[in-house]
Amino acid sequence: MLITESKDFTVNSESLKEIRSFSRDVFAKRDIPQELKDDLVLAIAEAAQNIVKHAYNGEKTTDKMKVKILFKKDEIEIGFFDTGLPAVPENITHRNLDDIKPGGLGTYFIKEIMDGAVFKKDQKGWVNHLVLTKKI
Amino acid sequence: MSYKVSEQGNISTVFLAGEIDMDVADKAKGIILPLVESGKEVHINLKDVSYMDSSGISVLIESHQKAEEKNTKVIIKEISKSVLKVIMMAKLEQILNLG
Repeated sequence: MLITESKDFTVNSESLKEIRSFSRDVFAKRDIPQELKDDLVLAIAEAAQNIVKHAYNGEKTTDKMKVKILFKKDEIEIGFFDTGLPAVPENITHRNLDDIKPGGLGTYFIKEIMDGAVFKKDQKGWVNHLVLTKKI
Repeated sequence: MSYKVSEQGNISTVFLAGEIDMDVADKAKGIILPLVESGKEVHINLKDVSYMDSSGISVLIESHQKAEEKNTKVIIKEISKSVLKVIMMAKLEQILNLG
């Protein structure tokens, strides 16, 4: 059985707390380890933060982004939809961890936590559709 | 996020509490960096920080680097389990001063 929960949020940094809260509520209903739930919340918040920072360059907007969490039999799929600047997947990299400086860690955390991260081209009415997956 | 600062001699201790994310990272920086810039040794107590993301980690890195510039120290104290996990994920446990 597939179960999907989704919610729209205004694209700004104040929404990150609401996004975490939404994600925690969704995961609270599922029988998965707490450590995994915490990791998934971090990955979701980092991906949402990237939308605020990079798809909108941190600029004020009333635009919405959608976070969609889909539970499959052995996988969790998390979708992010936004109408910001088109993402260029080849340009999305994290910094070298040996180069110690502020910034550039969000994408690394997502990569560490999730099994897959891909931009899909099926976004009707949206500009970007990022899908993160995690085997459970 | 809420905070409290206590002073003892040349040591300032910043007690942070709550969740530290992009939305409050500048606020956290605004509390910590002036103390470091004044040449004080700064202890950042994270006992009551329940969540920290990459923006919070950036605050810790910037504070640490500013302290090196100023020939002083930033020591991170009483790190909560969830924050320690993120610090370790960023492979910073050997870089930051964890006290």
